[in-house]
Amino acid sequence: MAIRTDRYASRADTLLFVACVGLSIAALSLPPQWRDQLAQGLQQSVLAPFIFLQRQTELLAAARTNYDNVVAQRDSAALAAAFLPELRNENARLRGLLGLSARLGSGYVSAEILHQPEPTNPLSFVVSAGRHEGVRPLSAVVSPEGLVGLVASVGEHSSVVLSWAHPEFRASAIAQDGSVVGIAAPHGAEGPNVWLLELQGVLYRQQVLPGTVIVTSGLGGVFPRGVPIGVVVGPAGEEKGWGRTYLVRPAVHPAELSHVMILTSPRPAGADLRNAFTTPQDSAGTGQVPRE
Amino acid sequence: MRRTDRYRYPIIMTMLVVLHFTVRSHLGGDRVAPDFLLLALLIYTIRAEPGKSAAAGFVIGLLRDAMTPASFGAGALAHTLVGFFSSWAKAVFFAEHVFVRGCLFFAGTWIRNLIVLLVSGKLQSSQVAWELLVWSPLQGLTTALVGVAVLWFFRGWLYPRRAGAATLGVPA
Repeated sequence: MAIRTDRYASRADTLLFVACVGLSIAALSLPPQWRDQLAQGLQQSVLAPFIFLQRQTELLAAARTNYDNVVAQRDSAALAAAFLPELRNENARLRGLLGLSARLGSGYVSAEILHQPEPTNPLSFVVSAGRHEGVRPLSAVVSPEGLVGLVASVGEHSSVVLSWAHPEFRASAIAQDGSVVGIAAPHGAEGPNVWLLELQGVLYRQQVLPGTVIVTSGLGGVFPRGVPIGVVVGPAGEEKGWGRTYLVRPAVHPAELSHVMILTSPRPAGADLRNAFTTPQDSAGTGQVPRE
Repeated sequence: MRRTDRYRYPIIMTMLVVLHFTVRSHLGGDRVAPDFLLLALLIYTIRAEPGKSAAAGFVIGLLRDAMTPASFGAGALAHTLVGFFSSWAKAVFFAEHVFVRGCLFFAGTWIRNLIVLLVSGKLQSSQVAWELLVWSPLQGLTTALVGVAVLWFFRGWLYPRRAGAATLGVPA
């Protein structure tokens, strides 16, 4: 190609320019039918590879966008799947509450636990039902699995519940078959068995096999009879004095609950709620209380 | 002139054409993104005679008209005029400075859009004002920026070696 830095338009350049301008004006004045045919011919011949290139580029960009969308959807699905077991558990618990409410009949209030992030939350917590809903102090708090605790103080629309893990909690307990009587109390706040209960005051001559289901006895009038407390795990240690103490795995862990039921009206004397609750697991030795 | 200049120059032109059909749609709005085809024409006019530049402009314009048949012929006329006068202006002003070339790219884009708007007569007055005062300057600016970048990046390919070039101030 010739390099001409000092050129101006020669006659040939001018003629070529005029010809191009004339052709452009001719193209402008083409009838629409001819114009469309010419454009179509150019698109299908000279421009075909460029149109193909542009289309492929657009497809690539669309594929990239789709890929990003698919990745985002996959991440959302993975996130939702991560919460799925928790949702299932909560659903099962709510269904259990519904079932318990049907079995209890009347005289209860459903309440939501207002969990707090403090580590002492399982010991005492606030529930969303109070005096206005009929809650009274010392009302029993239960879940479909068993005893949760009792109401310590009552506000207008909320109440403070002491769970069985609270050091001041005590409940009169009995084996499911009524053969062993004792006092259920938290095992302690230290050590590996911190979230266990104790069955205290069992007569020395009585031995309780592991797996025995312990329920509330109804003595004292705070808790109705038959609310599951837990399952005996084994002896708590070396016996002292005239009584034996057994470790009890609680039927309910307060930290796992989201809803509870508060028994608001006193049950008639002799009422037994045993059939209203689900039987705790590991109850292989239920009712087998050998006597010495 | 080096023997390889024969290949390097078409490579750059081809690259600009490919960029026009691949990258341009991803560089922002259609009215703002740089016009690589027009840029290729304007770079071509730096070296070519006005007649060849006009013919190249006519071909490019006609092909673009085939993509937008609503203003068929307007693009051919606009590119012909821009190609011819760009080459002619280059010969008259003898501008080698990069800023002048950037201005040439900007003006070429804006004038091309002006001619297409006037000849096609498809837009209303307010739309024409927006096109000429907002969108065309933006497109001219982006085209000029890309053009300057291409000239700088490929300066060794676009400026052929000539005897005494260093003394004339032309980049080698």
